[in-house]
Amino acid sequence: MAEVVYAGASRIYSGSTPVKAVDQLDLSIADGEFLVLVGPSGSGKSTALRMVAGLEDVDEGEIRIGDRAVTDLPPKDRDIAMVFQSYALYPHMSVAENMGFALKLRGMSKEKVRAKVDEAAAMLDLTKYLDRKPKALSGGQRQRVAMGRAIVREPSVFLMDEPLSNLDAKLRVETRANIAALQRRLSTTTIYVTHDQVEAMTMGDRVAVLKDGLLQQCASPRELYDRPANTFVAGFIGSPAMNLAKLPLSEAGVTLGGFTVPLDRDVLARAGELSEVVVGVRPESLRLVGDGEDGFDLVVELVEELGADAYVHGNAGEGQRIVVRVDGRTPPRLGEKVRVGLRELGELHVFDPQSTKSIAQSSQPQ
Amino acid sequence: MTTTEVAPAPAGRGAEQPAPRRHASPWKRRAPLLPALIFTIAVTQIPFLVTVFYSFQSWNLVRPGSQYFVGFQNYIDVFADSTFRTAMLNTVVLTVVCVFVSMVLGLGLALLLDRKFTGRSVVRTLIITPFLILPAAGALLWKTAMFDPVHGLLNFVFGTDIDWLSAYPLGSVMTQVIWQWTPFMTLLILAGLQAQSKEVLEAAQVDGAGRWRTFASITLPQLSRYLQLAALLGAIYIVNSFDAIYLMTQGGPGTASTNLPFYIYQRAFEGFDVGQSSAMGVIVVILTLIVATFTLRLMFRTFDVSGGVK
Repeated sequence: MAEVVYAGASRIYSGSTPVKAVDQLDLSIADGEFLVLVGPSGSGKSTALRMVAGLEDVDEGEIRIGDRAVTDLPPKDRDIAMVFQSYALYPHMSVAENMGFALKLRGMSKEKVRAKVDEAAAMLDLTKYLDRKPKALSGGQRQRVAMGRAIVREPSVFLMDEPLSNLDAKLRVETRANIAALQRRLSTTTIYVTHDQVEAMTMGDRVAVLKDGLLQQCASPRELYDRPANTFVAGFIGSPAMNLAKLPLSEAGVTLGGFTVPLDRDVLARAGELSEVVVGVRPESLRLVGDGEDGFDLVVELVEELGADAYVHGNAGEGQRIVVRVDGRTPPRLGEKVRVGLRELGELHVFDPQSTKSIAQSSQPQ
Repeated sequence: MTTTEVAPAPAGRGAEQPAPRRHASPWKRRAPLLPALIFTIAVTQIPFLVTVFYSFQSWNLVRPGSQYFVGFQNYIDVFADSTFRTAMLNTVVLTVVCVFVSMVLGLGLALLLDRKFTGRSVVRTLIITPFLILPAAGALLWKTAMFDPVHGLLNFVFGTDIDWLSAYPLGSVMTQVIWQWTPFMTLLILAGLQAQSKEVLEAAQVDGAGRWRTFASITLPQLSRYLQLAALLGAIYIVNSFDAIYLMTQGGPGTASTNLPFYIYQRAFEGFDVGQSSAMGVIVVILTLIVATFTLRLMFRTFDVSGGVK
């Protein structure tokens, strides 16, 4: 049990043009917290995790686990356990040997190792498979062995590098819940890397969004969803992505296809001299309205039916592509022209087109 | 539903079953293979059978009219021949020592090569070079440039005055063979090292294993199949070493560096004793088969163990 602190930590890959894979990361993870690092590929999230593990050098700044600075310690002295994307099980060892390897290295007696392994195996429903080799296990079982190998060590920090990405969709949802529950039960500080924003939203106490090695925002899932700090976070969190459009700004508000949405006075004041702003609205904040009502016209180009809901992709004129969530039972047809309005006048996000930073929402959620 | 369709049909009617496959003449299907089969039999099995036939004959080319059937007399003579036993022992020593030493050296070189450093590809090419040199050229190189008592490099370096080839004939031959085969072992083991998953090694590091422990507990077990393959292939080739012995020592002094292939060559092409050399050839084939069968069985067992349940 310990907190983990990144203090201005950078990882620079040398080359003809040095690349900062992780750029001056400042982040502290509280004792027992489940933090998810999320970002697109190449965002430096795995590198950031491997820096805590000691598998990547830290070129600038410092990393602390508990009160110890571990920046220059080898992985074996950091008291961490890691779950790899490929699980990285030792192919020539049985499940029990895989799980007990670290304990054996610590010089623990055979009986004690056996007892710990049995305990962890019971927790993960692996007791039947203890004598098997990894090759004879299914993907889900291997994933659990990798988890078990981390658990038996009772480390101060768990590091997980996309541990679910090799599982099929159904198993992934199930394992996702199991890992989150297990972490709550053990209350061990956990850093979890994923590119899947659904995993990030459902598992983390807090989620840190990275892009090009830079921390974009670190907040609770709800906060990220409701108050994205910039257009990148707004577009990355949520599926399908938030609709973002650069629209002209006037005293009255922003205008799309003849539909003017009034903005809050505070927002207008903060927008100041800007003649254009980026406006973001989530697909579920839009709805289909009748002909007479306020809204803009949309030509339907694609309908994705998901059962309960359907997502309508369409063109709002001037090449502006918009996605709207509608009721799954009565979706519009392809090529149809529909009228789209706002569900709540307040559910707009406004961003500065230059800095991409949020100018704040038009209304503060309660 | 299929059950309702099947139910009314009378059971046991042949027409319901898929028609038994027409027995197209099997030879028609095998025909394309035949040329290769015939060729293989012609060049391997017929000479072998002829050799077996010769081994039951007393036949020396320099004594005209000496060819007659003697039964197992040749085999009895061969086993009574102390030179044959020396040659057999030499073959075993040569093979075991050369395979073992070149594997240990190969493992060391492979570990050194399995890391990034500038000029790595140049070093790798240089290390492979001995394997690319013609065995005869390599043997001559060692005989004249390295072992020569007057202007050999070894005496120059060590400041000694030794005629290596007559003082340590078998050792000299083994040195050359090891020099030739170490690159082969290096390449095979390097392939094994590079086939290792990097994440597994990292997992071992995180689990608390130091460098040496990772090598002993993770790398070496995973390399075992590559080491087995290297040992088997190396043994098959080194048992048959001929060039080095022929060019460097001529099996001498006396029979100190004579191995089986060289002894058979001597008896057949210098002694012209067709009968006895054929008998020796047959014995060598049988011994090799026995050893190879055991080795292969051992290997497959180990493969199964490391492969787990399929």
